[in-house]
Amino acid sequence: MNNEILYLSLVPAIAGILIFILGRKSRALSETLALLGTVITFLIAVKIFGQTAVQGGVLTFWNEELRMDALSGLIAGLVALLGLIASVYSVPYMRREVEMGVVPAERMGVYYGWFMIFLATMLCATTVNNIILLWVIIEGTTLASIILVGFYWNRDAIEAAYKYAILLTVGITFALFGCVLLYSGASQQIAGGIDPLKLTEIAKVAGKIPKSIVLLSVVMLLVGFGTKAGMVPFHTWLPDAHAEAPTPISAMLSGVMIKVGVYALIRTVLIFYPFYSIVSTLVLIFGMITMVVGVIMMMMQEDLKRFLAFCSVTSMGYILMGLGLANYLGIYGAIFHLLNHSLMKALAFLSVGAVIYSTHHRRVPELGGLGKYMPFTAVAFYVAALSLGGIPFFNGFISEFTLFIAGVKAGFPWATVIAVAVAILNVAIFFHLTYQVFMGEAPENLKAAGIKEVPVMMWGGMLILAFLCLLIGVYPQIVSPILNEATKAVFATIAMP
Amino acid sequence: MQEFAKIISTISLSMIITSYLIIELRNLRYSAYMYMIQAVLMCTLFAIFAIENHGLYYWAMTAFVTKVVIIPWLLLRYIKKTTDREFQPLIGYLGSIFLISAVVVILYRVTHSYIGFVAPSQFATAEPFRTNLAVSLSIFFMGLYCILVRRDAIKTVHGLLILENGVHLSLVTLAPALRETALIGIVTDVVIAVWILLYVIYGIYQKFGSTDTLQLRGLRW
Repeated sequence: MNNEILYLSLVPAIAGILIFILGRKSRALSETLALLGTVITFLIAVKIFGQTAVQGGVLTFWNEELRMDALSGLIAGLVALLGLIASVYSVPYMRREVEMGVVPAERMGVYYGWFMIFLATMLCATTVNNIILLWVIIEGTTLASIILVGFYWNRDAIEAAYKYAILLTVGITFALFGCVLLYSGASQQIAGGIDPLKLTEIAKVAGKIPKSIVLLSVVMLLVGFGTKAGMVPFHTWLPDAHAEAPTPISAMLSGVMIKVGVYALIRTVLIFYPFYSIVSTLVLIFGMITMVVGVIMMMMQEDLKRFLAFCSVTSMGYILMGLGLANYLGIYGAIFHLLNHSLMKALAFLSVGAVIYSTHHRRVPELGGLGKYMPFTAVAFYVAALSLGGIPFFNGFISEFTLFIAGVKAGFPWATVIAVAVAILNVAIFFHLTYQVFMGEAPENLKAAGIKEVPVMMWGGMLILAFLCLLIGVYPQIVSPILNEATKAVFATIAMP
Repeated sequence: MQEFAKIISTISLSMIITSYLIIELRNLRYSAYMYMIQAVLMCTLFAIFAIENHGLYYWAMTAFVTKVVIIPWLLLRYIKKTTDREFQPLIGYLGSIFLISAVVVILYRVTHSYIGFVAPSQFATAEPFRTNLAVSLSIFFMGLYCILVRRDAIKTVHGLLILENGVHLSLVTLAPALRETALIGIVTDVVIAVWILLYVIYGIYQKFGSTDTLQLRGLRW
């Protein structure tokens, strides 16, 4: 019995409930409770991360209903880290929104309350070892974030919230059908006395489940959890939700929430790889389509947040490509890119949030020359752009390069060729965007407005993320033992024929 | 179960008819009442299946509380706050009925004939479980149809509820031994999803003046 698994999601959940009860009238109390909750959660996650992702251990609770291995430990660590940074960032960012009259002060309790519940659901998703509860919690992450996506409650925000809610809820209902089919197929093969709801038990009998049930459930799971992960063609909610949510929430959605969808796919779909090669081929094809559509859509964007949202679609394509390659290096590369993307995309969103905070603009043609006025933000964005563009010595390069090699080694050189082409386009787009926003001359209206650097509570977190992106880029060996443990954990749950 | 096969078939057919009515009735309040009737039918089905598998009595109770009481109450409350007239759909009565009928007949026939494709065991391929599975898949796709072609946001929620009823109904055949905690988790999610969706739709009504989803075109590309 490892009680810390329980505390991991219980602490933010309790903090969220307390904020709903006590924080309605006091903004400061809401902020304090949220900060306290995220700090304690982060400390618990660090402990779990050490025990699982670093030492390779497996933690269990309540007769293995909750179970954490290196992969879940790594994702939980990422969620908790970004949760902490986003909550600290939220304090000045949302105070400014209140001062500007964008949102009333009394709604801050709602913001921080849902923020903590959202955090709790994402952390809980990494701990459950029960296929139906996994579905329940994944749907919970959507439900907890709908109000946050529509938080500004203007026409665009409500439209985004509606699309987000309906698309993800319908998508996830497909996943429920998939989970039920999987459970029903597995329960016939599992001996009496053993719980057929457990993911680890289902994985053991994956090869014995009838092929028709496997194929139908895999399609349903890909539609359901793929919608959550922003997989094309089920990605249409993503740009709207990422663009219209308050920036700290955009960072959480893009940085970690879509990864929870990938995590669910890893736990439910990859278990069939050794038995049905069509499953990995399907994932690979979806990955390649996602990557190409994402980068084409990136080129058409003028809104900074929508641009980054489509960049997330492209990155999810890379992650799915790695998973679809189905070899050790491919899955290692996918997990590596998942880690890197969480860091660099959260950094990019927080930097763009800083630009919006200072200039009140987010359309690229309205911006320019900000590097002079916002040096910390500029450095953070440069690091994010170079990492996302896949430039050597930045973390994005290492994981993308790993995926390229994995593609060739797995016998899919065409996938590598497409991925390289997408990466080259990515670099060009990011260089162009960075120049337009941070270099050259600032427009007169921005100069006249007296733009200046954001408070330390905002750039502090950005610099931590920038440092991590650089550290992994220059010295990738620092994370390779962790990634090895996480990849081994994936293979440990897959039964071999 | 054989002695109840006729009753089960009749109730299953009634569930398909109520799905038709939920989709086609233009008065949203009547659609909500029809949903309530469908939920009562589903609870009755669970109760009949529970004669052999007593655990299903608990399912019938859970479904009654959530689907007969809470969800219709939420629907009627928000319909009162907005409007009870469905926004003119993209496809008229005749076209819609023809399309749904085609979908239902094809799906029902295919599922009923090739039940082995989805049935996890021999037991599930026998009547009345075979019919149950065919009906649940038909209802699932009727819900999907409603979501895809209806432009009224509240009607879309009705579609989502039909979709979810399809999955819920399939559990009798696919997962009769599912634990209560898992079932409570599923229905709790559904209730919360409906509540939050209706809250957001009320926001749409306030900001846009109607619940027409075709108006939501501000965010494109």
